[in-house]
Amino acid sequence: MASARDITDLDGREPFGAAAARVVAIRAQEVWDHSHDVQDTGDIERVHDMRVATRRLRAMLEVFAPCFPAKAHRDVLRDVKDLADALGRRRDLDVQIDLLRSYGEQAASADRRGVESLVEHFREVQAAGNADLAQALDEVKRRDLRARLTALVEAAA
Amino acid sequence: MKARRVSKLDPQAPLADMAERIVRVRLDELYSFVPRALAPTEHGAQHDMRIAAKRLRYVLEVTAPCFGSYAATAAKRARQLQDILGEVHDCDVLLPEVQAHIVRLRARDAATVRARAGDAGDLDPALTTRAPHRAAYRGLEVLCVHLQARRQLLFERFVERWASLQRAGLRRRLEQALAERAASPQAAQLAGTR
Repeated sequence: MASARDITDLDGREPFGAAAARVVAIRAQEVWDHSHDVQDTGDIERVHDMRVATRRLRAMLEVFAPCFPAKAHRDVLRDVKDLADALGRRRDLDVQIDLLRSYGEQAASADRRGVESLVEHFREVQAAGNADLAQALDEVKRRDLRARLTALVEAAA
Repeated sequence: MKARRVSKLDPQAPLADMAERIVRVRLDELYSFVPRALAPTEHGAQHDMRIAAKRLRYVLEVTAPCFGSYAATAAKRARQLQDILGEVHDCDVLLPEVQAHIVRLRARDAATVRARAGDAGDLDPALTTRAPHRAAYRGLEVLCVHLQARRQLLFERFVERWASLQRAGLRRRLEQALAERAASPQAAQLAGTR
């Protein structure tokens, strides 16, 4: 899993608003850095990395909320949350499938058929989750979330 | 779980002072789930405590350099709590999924067996022995046992971990660290080069 970038040069004496701009800009960039090929179910770490980056961005938007124009912040936060939810739904299935596969490898052979049938079911749901995710990613582009995040950072108090 | 509101945050005020206010509220929030979350059946409180640990962790990961050194340690402790409660939560999510799958297969098998019986006066048990998913039930029931037992084990680890954090003075030490102010990064760098 990709770790978040350490923000080592934060100075406790700098204004809260200035720190908000720097932290949110870095966390937003991390989301875009991890946004490639997330619908590839062959490499489940991709969706995980983008989900974690999105979750960190959301957390920072909440922490620094008073530093941003209220309406723009509310709209951006809602879109980031929607993206995080779509990533989360796909990720939860990835985790469950992974867990079942490693459990199945150690299960008695007579018990494997049941585990496999549940994996098959989750695979079908995962495909639907991927379609949801594709829609959420399209929505991010359509609503130009990246540009709105940049504008939000520039407008930080 | 909705986060508690942090009042009197001023964008022009020093980051460390504002971050201190936020961390104190998040720390209170984490402790507000104890002792409820320490009861094995309180799944909701354990889930909410995981979210509270995550919120505390994320704010500390960014702002720890403003405070005493224990703030960074507390971020790691919050992550450990979040991780173990996350694994407990995974069991809570998966177990009902397995049970729902058993119900789904049973309904499909019953419908198939019924259709195969045609216009018989009663159901021939031999038809049931050829139910399409008959080989799946045992594995799914055993999986339920595994998830239930794993949940119990992980929950016990969480309780032990929490007790150990209390013995180590998590709250007291973090509150002390929050009252300290770290040197600026530039000052720290200068001190390091002397």
